[in-house]
Amino acid sequence: MGKKKRGHPDVEELLARPWCYYCERDFEDLKLLISHQKAKHFKCDRCGKRLNTAGGLSVHMNQVHKEALDKVENALANRQGLDIEIFGMEGVPDDIVQQHNQRIITNFYTAQAERHAATGNPPPGHAGGQGPAKKIKMETPEELKKRLADHRAKVAQIKANGGTLPVPVVVPKSQQQQQQQAQVPASVSPVAGQSPAQGASPFPPPQPGFPYPPPVGVMPGAFPPPVQPGVVVGAYPPVFPPRPTTGGTTLPHMPPYYNGGPPGGGGAGGYPGAASTVDELVSGAARQGGGGGDEIDQLIRAAEQGQGSKPPPGARAGEDAGAEKKGKGKDKHMRMVYGDSEVSPEEKMALLPRYAVAAA
Amino acid sequence: MAPSTQFEVSQPPNDVISAVVFAPDNTNRLLVSSWDRNVYLYEIAEGTEDATLLNKFEHRAPILDVCFGANGNEAYTAGLDCSVKRIDLSSGEQTVLSTHEKPVRCVVYSPQHSMLISASWDHTLHVHNTSAPASTPITISLPGKPHALAASPSKVVVAMTARLVHIYDLPALAAALSSADPASATITPWQQRESSLKFLTRAVACMPNDAGYATSSIEGRVAVEWFEDTAESQARKYAFKCHRQTAPEEEGGGDVVYPVNALTFHPVYGTFASGGGDGTVALWDAEAKRRMRQYQKFPDSVAALSFSNNGKYLAIGVCRGFETGMENFDSEGRAKVFIRELGETEAKGKGPK
Ligand SMILES: [Zn+2]
Ligand SMILES: [Zn+2]
Repeated sequence: MGKKKRGHPDVEELLARPWCYYCERDFEDLKLLISHQKAKHFKCDRCGKRLNTAGGLSVHMNQVHKEALDKVENALANRQGLDIEIFGMEGVPDDIVQQHNQRIITNFYTAQAERHAATGNPPPGHAGGQGPAKKIKMETPEELKKRLADHRAKVAQIKANGGTLPVPVVVPKSQQQQQQQAQVPASVSPVAGQSPAQGASPFPPPQPGFPYPPPVGVMPGAFPPPVQPGVVVGAYPPVFPPRPTTGGTTLPHMPPYYNGGPPGGGGAGGYPGAASTVDELVSGAARQGGGGGDEIDQLIRAAEQGQGSKPPPGARAGEDAGAEKKGKGKDKHMRMVYGDSEVSPEEKMALLPRYAVAAA
Repeated sequence: MAPSTQFEVSQPPNDVISAVVFAPDNTNRLLVSSWDRNVYLYEIAEGTEDATLLNKFEHRAPILDVCFGANGNEAYTAGLDCSVKRIDLSSGEQTVLSTHEKPVRCVVYSPQHSMLISASWDHTLHVHNTSAPASTPITISLPGKPHALAASPSKVVVAMTARLVHIYDLPALAAALSSADPASATITPWQQRESSLKFLTRAVACMPNDAGYATSSIEGRVAVEWFEDTAESQARKYAFKCHRQTAPEEEGGGDVVYPVNALTFHPVYGTFASGGGDGTVALWDAEAKRRMRQYQKFPDSVAALSFSNNGKYLAIGVCRGFETGMENFDSEGRAKVFIRELGETEAKGKGPK
């Protein structure tokens, strides 16, 4: 590893590189990865001490600074949790490893396809390619090509099915995501079907501003209807704010970006049933930039743009849709420790004999 | 960065804390009001981890709120006995500034306009010109019972029952006060809004840059909005859940939702802290819309918060919180006041991206 920098590394080399669970960056060797994690993800922002794991940092913050660590810093939006203990490459869940490898492969072929498109050179392995085949490490070019062929077959199948995805396959994430985005408005838009209170909420059900990394176990989501089944609350004041006037004309409750990606992002390009080859699909996904592309890539881009823990707009639609579903289920069990929306705790306390006002 | 420290004030109130507030002109001085009928004046001894109780001002009724006046030697209190009092903190002298028909819930002082505004469960605001204590106050009728009050340099925000929020323009109030006949002046709100939160408001705090305010409710939620009445500004407002805990699966799972009792903006960085019935304090970046920190859990509900005038200290009033079903509520001896000395950039936000 790392012996040559010229040319383009082959896919096995890329797949073999150690990489960081939290930010998906890859490194020359494990030592560099570990020092990266200590500096970027396990460093105490109070005293600068670098710990070995997120758990170690959590204990340190608690004991030394009396502060709770609630997330891993500089991590991708969905990798900030403290529930997974990572050290170097240890502890990375299998499905995340698979996802990572898939991303490397997809990006590899995207880049390759673009290079070939730009230079007119044939792909490696063909006569006149970029040199002899490297020694086999994980997957041979033949195997990868077979996967590519499988891709093509699946895509053809999708087309034949009229655009219905069969089981999740190696179809680029962008495609799945676009489909998700396309479905979201339909599931959220019917204003008439909402309770009046919900419909009149000053915030759209999937709150556009819900930016905070949710506390552990709490999903951000829509406003619950004012009176929840099983929630102890007083009579709810029957005053509702006026309908919001912002937002689209057809979907008044949708934040502007909700129709799929930011303007110009290309995310709303519709279901890509017209693409004919994997290369077209993957390079198409790459072209789409902020609106489409692999989910992880989006998160990485967002992180690079300094958005920190904020999910990018493209990812938000799907996330909110999920959060809303989850939120609805959870809110059924919501228990408010103080549930009277008419009379304040202070008014109740004022009635207690011990607080009676002495005669003047 | 210097490590931050946190300590507990050694002579805290004996009962529920209604407010903690730092002086406008003295970083080390703070007042704490309590249902034990006293206002406590503390001073943090520089370089030590202690705050000395300088004085205690006894009232005849529980005190629901306290604020400083023009300087660190003057305070105003909101009493369950319906009175608004001025306390000379040097001499201890108390004078009744105003009497409402029902208990006084909140007091707020506007240093820019030398005005003291009190909000009472009698559905009124009283507006006093404190530079002329003998002058006639203005009484403003409210459509609902006020529960939270906060002032920015130019506005005062009143949150009431039925999700009513009125915003008054302070220069307009000052002009009315100095008119020939303040008592007959007609005061209309600068803006009337519906609360962004569906449940009872617990706290309001204004941005130090006069741009907007945050509100919190009994239902573990905070909303941030802006004063400017343009579509752009109004589209910026947002709300989010906080101060909630996941109930154990054995208890059926779901969320336990706590009231958000306190909000305070950092005077320098414009970030804000929220304190909840879950005993936690979180620090939020209003611009970047993200949680910056969550502090270690306190032993009881967080009732009140205040940043010092330079943002160096955060005072945290902790006591038992009144919850649904607490008919025999007894919180004696459980009040604590914590002072957290912040690291230099601890409350500094990253700003919008
Ligand atoms: Zn990393
Ligand atoms: Zn540290």
